[in-house]
Amino acid sequence: MKIAIKNKVTVAVCSAFLAIGAFSCQTDLLDPQPTTIFSNLVVFDTPARISLQVNGLYAAVKNGNFYGGRYQVYGDVRADDFINRTSNSITAQLVWNHTLTETSQNDVINTWEYAYNAINQINVFLDGMDANSAKFVAPVFPADYSTTTANQYKAEARFLRALSYYALLQLYAKPYADNSGNNPGLPLRLKAEASLPGNDLARSTVAEVYAQILDDLQYAEDNLPLTYPTATAPSTRAHRNTAIALKTRVYLSMGRYSDVITTADRIVSKTAPFTATTGVQHVLSPSVTNVFPSQTTTESILSFPFTAQNTPGTQNQLGNYYLPNLPQSAGGTGEFYLNANGILANPAWAANDTRRVNWVTVYNGASYLKKYSSPTPFLDPAPVIRYAEVLLNLAEARSRVNGANDAQALALLNAVRTRSNGTAYTQATVDNILLERRIEFLGEGIRNFDIMRLNATIPGKGNISAVPPGTPRYIWPIPSTEIATNRLIVQN
Amino acid sequence: MRKILLLCLLTILVLAGHELRAQARAISGKVSGADGVGLPGVTVVVRGTSLGASTNAEGIYSLEVPASATALIYSSIGYESKTVTVGNESTINVTLAASATGLDEVVVVGYGATVSRRELTGSISTIAGTEIAQKPVQSFEQALQGRAPGVNITTPNGVLNNPPVVRIRGVNSISLSSSPLYVIDGIPAYSGDNSATNAPNNPLSNVNPNDIESIEVLKDAASAAIYGSRASNGVILVTTKKGKKGQSRVTLDSWAGWTKPVRLYDLLGAQDYMSIKNEAVRNLNANRVAAGGVGNNIEGFLPSYNPDGSLVDTRWYDYIYRTGFSTSNNVSFSGGTEKTNFYASVGYTNQKGMLENNQFKRASARLNVDHKVYKNFTIGARVAYSNSYNSAPNSGSLSGSAFSIAGLGRAPLVLPPNIAAYNPDGTPNLSGAYVGSGANVGPAPPASASSPVPPLGPTYYNPVVDLMYNDYTSESNEIQGSVYANWELLKGLNIRTSYGINNVGFEDKSFQTALGGDGFSLGGSATNYYRTNKRWNWQNTVQYDRTIAENHNISLLVGGEQQRTQIQRWGAQRTQAADNLFDSYQGNFTNIAVAGNLQTDNYLVSYFGRLTYDFAKKYLISFNARRDGYSAFAKKWGNFYGAGAGYIISEENFWKNSSLLTPISFFKFTGSYGEVGNIQGVDDYGFLRSYSSGLYASAATLAFSGAGNPDLTWESSKKTDVGLSFGLLQDKIQGDFAYYRTTIDDLILNVPLAPSRGVPFPGVTNANYIQANVGSMRNSGIELNLRYNAVQKKNFTWTISGNLTTLKNEVLVLATEGQRLGTATSGSETVNYTEKGRPIGSILAVTSLGVNPDNGQRMIAKKIKDADGKVINTIPVQYNHLGTPAGSTGWTTLDGQNVAGPTQLADGEYYNVLPKWYGGFDNTFTFKNFDLGIFIQYSGGNYIYNGTKAGLHDQRYWNNDVDILDRWTPEHTNAKWPRVVYGDNVSNGSALVMSSNVEKGDFVRLRNVSLGYSLASPVAKRLGIASARLYVQVQNAALLTKYKGIDPEISSNASGANSNTGVGVDRNSVGQARTYTVGFNIGF
Repeated sequence: MKIAIKNKVTVAVCSAFLAIGAFSCQTDLLDPQPTTIFSNLVVFDTPARISLQVNGLYAAVKNGNFYGGRYQVYGDVRADDFINRTSNSITAQLVWNHTLTETSQNDVINTWEYAYNAINQINVFLDGMDANSAKFVAPVFPADYSTTTANQYKAEARFLRALSYYALLQLYAKPYADNSGNNPGLPLRLKAEASLPGNDLARSTVAEVYAQILDDLQYAEDNLPLTYPTATAPSTRAHRNTAIALKTRVYLSMGRYSDVITTADRIVSKTAPFTATTGVQHVLSPSVTNVFPSQTTTESILSFPFTAQNTPGTQNQLGNYYLPNLPQSAGGTGEFYLNANGILANPAWAANDTRRVNWVTVYNGASYLKKYSSPTPFLDPAPVIRYAEVLLNLAEARSRVNGANDAQALALLNAVRTRSNGTAYTQATVDNILLERRIEFLGEGIRNFDIMRLNATIPGKGNISAVPPGTPRYIWPIPSTEIATNRLIVQN
Repeated sequence: MRKILLLCLLTILVLAGHELRAQARAISGKVSGADGVGLPGVTVVVRGTSLGASTNAEGIYSLEVPASATALIYSSIGYESKTVTVGNESTINVTLAASATGLDEVVVVGYGATVSRRELTGSISTIAGTEIAQKPVQSFEQALQGRAPGVNITTPNGVLNNPPVVRIRGVNSISLSSSPLYVIDGIPAYSGDNSATNAPNNPLSNVNPNDIESIEVLKDAASAAIYGSRASNGVILVTTKKGKKGQSRVTLDSWAGWTKPVRLYDLLGAQDYMSIKNEAVRNLNANRVAAGGVGNNIEGFLPSYNPDGSLVDTRWYDYIYRTGFSTSNNVSFSGGTEKTNFYASVGYTNQKGMLENNQFKRASARLNVDHKVYKNFTIGARVAYSNSYNSAPNSGSLSGSAFSIAGLGRAPLVLPPNIAAYNPDGTPNLSGAYVGSGANVGPAPPASASSPVPPLGPTYYNPVVDLMYNDYTSESNEIQGSVYANWELLKGLNIRTSYGINNVGFEDKSFQTALGGDGFSLGGSATNYYRTNKRWNWQNTVQYDRTIAENHNISLLVGGEQQRTQIQRWGAQRTQAADNLFDSYQGNFTNIAVAGNLQTDNYLVSYFGRLTYDFAKKYLISFNARRDGYSAFAKKWGNFYGAGAGYIISEENFWKNSSLLTPISFFKFTGSYGEVGNIQGVDDYGFLRSYSSGLYASAATLAFSGAGNPDLTWESSKKTDVGLSFGLLQDKIQGDFAYYRTTIDDLILNVPLAPSRGVPFPGVTNANYIQANVGSMRNSGIELNLRYNAVQKKNFTWTISGNLTTLKNEVLVLATEGQRLGTATSGSETVNYTEKGRPIGSILAVTSLGVNPDNGQRMIAKKIKDADGKVINTIPVQYNHLGTPAGSTGWTTLDGQNVAGPTQLADGEYYNVLPKWYGGFDNTFTFKNFDLGIFIQYSGGNYIYNGTKAGLHDQRYWNNDVDILDRWTPEHTNAKWPRVVYGDNVSNGSALVMSSNVEKGDFVRLRNVSLGYSLASPVAKRLGIASARLYVQVQNAALLTKYKGIDPEISSNASGANSNTGVGVDRNSVGQARTYTVGFNIGF
């Protein structure tokens, strides 16, 4: 009996022990707090976090697969000024020789995906700003946050959305000039996407997408700050003149030349030295060698910056594409060299032209572009828009509206040309302007839309044939991944 | 004939006996085991009758026997039956010897419990440690290939310490892990490649295979449900050795081995290469002219010469493969007294693979101790420490690197043979990052007539750079162990607590030189990572075993378990070496960036119970239940259970007494059903809508990084198992048969979102999916396991065992109706599509109609569809690379009309990638002191997309397989391969997945052959040793397959998110090596 009691005690003790051991769930461990990520519930809680989110929007657009390098590369190599050296299908070879398919991962699929990721980041931000507006009150937020800063941020977001949609239109849709924009454009996503339903969305027309772009730019122009306090921000964040500058490009792409003129006039003085008179004082730099590689002069309206900690990523870097692979100090992989029969052969680009002297290097019989000159980790900013383009946009629009003898058009054209030691043109013909754009913006990704906005043939090069407008390869296919998930999408 | 007569006579006598049982008398006695202790529950039957009794708790029995009784049969589970002739005595005491048949082996079932195989209601395979010891492998599960039914293990490549792909009863998930839970001595272990570099590191290699006593594979719900939310993929329990009472033993195991590559491709030599490629350029020019262009490409594939004037004819394989030499040495001590037993071992192995620079080393030590503090209080510990080190070149064979231009799997296949690996001065032949062109120029025409013809400019790296200068290593230090205390409170009532840890530190390093290759553009790069896996696990259980009223055997387990796992990794990459002298992170580099940061934390808390009951070891039932709370879900708690029943019909007296049935000495039916879960691979914070911080140049950012899903919960696996087990002829033949069916519901799928929605997933900017429990899939099949002791003579024995498993996998529900879930190989080429109604991850390939004999163009079947998408016709179309007018696709109908090209999605057909049947077949012979083991593994019923073959016929400058010589020319129109056109990567399949590169994957592999010689014990005694065995063995001795690639198992080379849906693709990986070893095992 004594043993039985002792046993009972032992059982009780042990049961208690077990109860503590086995059944003392550490409930706090069941709700671990992540230490490296944020919950969506807290990211609009402070002005600092919202500010970080705005930076995040730029970073998304700047992704190396998009405006951080590849978009610019595609814009050049589709045309005839570059020759593919490496036959590497990862690095734009298929863009160059027009053999893209709907399953081409590194270009057709990735560009679409990264661009739309940026667009969704923007939409998520815009929706979040609206949904959390009740938080924007003192003492955490400044009193005028809702009426000023919040709108500025939204304007930056909408500027970036316009920039992103514009890029997609240039690759996946027929030009506005073809059928006045009534061809299929893009699925126009304007709301935050973060849940399961909602895959199906038809393509809006080209014109509808342009209309949205202009709407976003108008909001941006109305709400962006005139400038930024820090020295580099004016070229790395959108301000009012950035929106205006992009608008001139958009109108040009739509063939709305008189709108180009009225828009550009807001940031271009009537006479030389041409300069923006309000906001950031954009002006042509005395020499293009000041503009590149740093891209921090007031000529650069928007350029996406990089640091050693924040690189464009492997096989996205502009310098890597264009700098020769040898000697090693050159630092690139020489994916593309300059086509000897392209702009390089054009007598308008003289041997003593500053842009040729400084930016063309010959190695092993081939000429390479060294506008982006820093070797790995390739920290040259990726250019988006600069003042020289606004001037030439205006010049072209004036020339088209008023004829090749428009004095301001000629002055604008020659302002760009003569600062680089080029012989002044005598007439501001559209051809002259387009030629000058080819020289001035070589490697900046502008050539493709200069061809396509006119619905012109993409010239052939080497053994690659020309691609006339209206043929299947004139624009990129819609990615198979979109076709597979979006039942309302129509293939090009 | 005489036997039959005798049998008849015996039957008559027995029948006669029935009639004559009038005068009965009593016989009693005691039945005891070898140790003299009485055996309860022994059945005593009068031979030829149904008269019988069983022994009581002290082993005492008594029964009335008829006078005619001739003999009594004593039988008990776990003991050899004994027949004793009845004389006149009234007391018969019997001693029964423990039987050695597999039916009575003890099976580990988890949480400290064991069950005899006879009494199992679930499906558990056991692999003895002896079957995997001394194999030239790095981790024990590599040696399990083919050893157990229902367990399919494949070796995806020949890189040392790459984890094998282990699948128990099919693929049990789509986006989570399908790998089993590994539990080593009760503590869940880490598995999979934990390395951040090209040197894989499978933490399971930290277990010295020689320390393993047995491995149990829990397959069905009845056996695995005790592991609840982690049981869906099956559970592998590893039990390490312990000392035995009274047997002090020292053993020494050593082996040495030589490892070689096998089945390498036969590639073009320099001469053939140049003629094929120049022919391709010629054909391109002809095409260009025909299409209205200019045919000015240059036939620039030109010979280079060595300093001695001989033609450069490089076999790149020679620089990459070698014969690797390996050794392994293990010493173990074990022993025990009444109170204490112990097992201790130290081991060291140093293995060099067939790839240059591939080396695996492990130093391990283990101590297992059990000690009785009091009669009813036991404590013990299992502690193992291991240091493992793996170095590997950039093999291009790890998952995700199939298309790496640095990969040594790919380099020898694509590099031109007419260029040299080294310059005459001994430096690597380089042009910038890439291999130098040699004399090859063009074929692109020069920029202008006056400028020089550009060099060929191959964009592949020279592999000798990687081998000479670069380093990739992963070194880990693991401590794995537990301590326990067990108190037997009352007889049969044990309470036990066990606390274990499994901590691993990984130091991963890589260095890439600035001279060439990957490090070139970085100016040299050194990256170091440090990773810690930390886990603690605390288990508390109460186990109660009791026999009531002799025949009611009850066993009850109740317990709780908590486990926390934290994984962290940090690292940094330094680039731009100040000088080529610096080849490690500690050198001077001008730039540094963060690399590989990782932080996870999860916690699992569980309550579980197990009840088993049997009546007279005849009727068996078991019930397992577990309630798990897991931190990675918003809804934390889930319930899981499994129930099983068994009926040992051979224990029925009618069976024992039926002369027809007695040859079947054991016959058991089992059935089980249960619902278990899967959480392995669930993101720790996947339910949160998350934002991550990054950089915009030098400014910090915060960005939407994952949509999250608060409804996310366990995948639920419903397992049904129906089985039977039998033993024939005194268990000379034993077998198990099982039918299994697993339906997995609530599969967590990456529900694809339209990319235009731009939804990221943590770590994947362009993911475009959200995880949700939406899918359903079923695996079903049969398992058969047979073992036959064919010959048991004194000097000669022959044991045959074999197993067969069939598998039928069908995806039942995906995220959206009609969805095709594509999985890209290494992010580049999408071969696999998962679709409802088909096996997971099937190959989708357009149908090749061969080569058009009229023009040498590849013909593909293109489907013509009506407005509803229904196929109404199929027409052949053909591809002529750059041979059709500008703006057209290159595809034409056979009468020359331009058409849109065929596409995989519109025109493809499906091919199953999962083996429909697989298994192993083992023969063991002993003849006098010799033993011979022949182990065969087989698998088949699957298709493989041989993407390597596509690459080997690519008409860029890449080298080709010698069979490209059988290409179409005007003179040779009945050709296997199309007319070669320079730059064509469509006709061969590089750019279009086509059926000509889809092959059957059936194979039979002679996995292991070993021949041993054991010293006769008198001889051994004279030498003062207990036992000694010398052996030679060949691992991967032969492969019988029609598959054209290096190795059909390469096709399992997919991991991470692709491991379930992305298999069946062979792309540029190195195959398995063949290893010859010699070794000895000595016991003192």
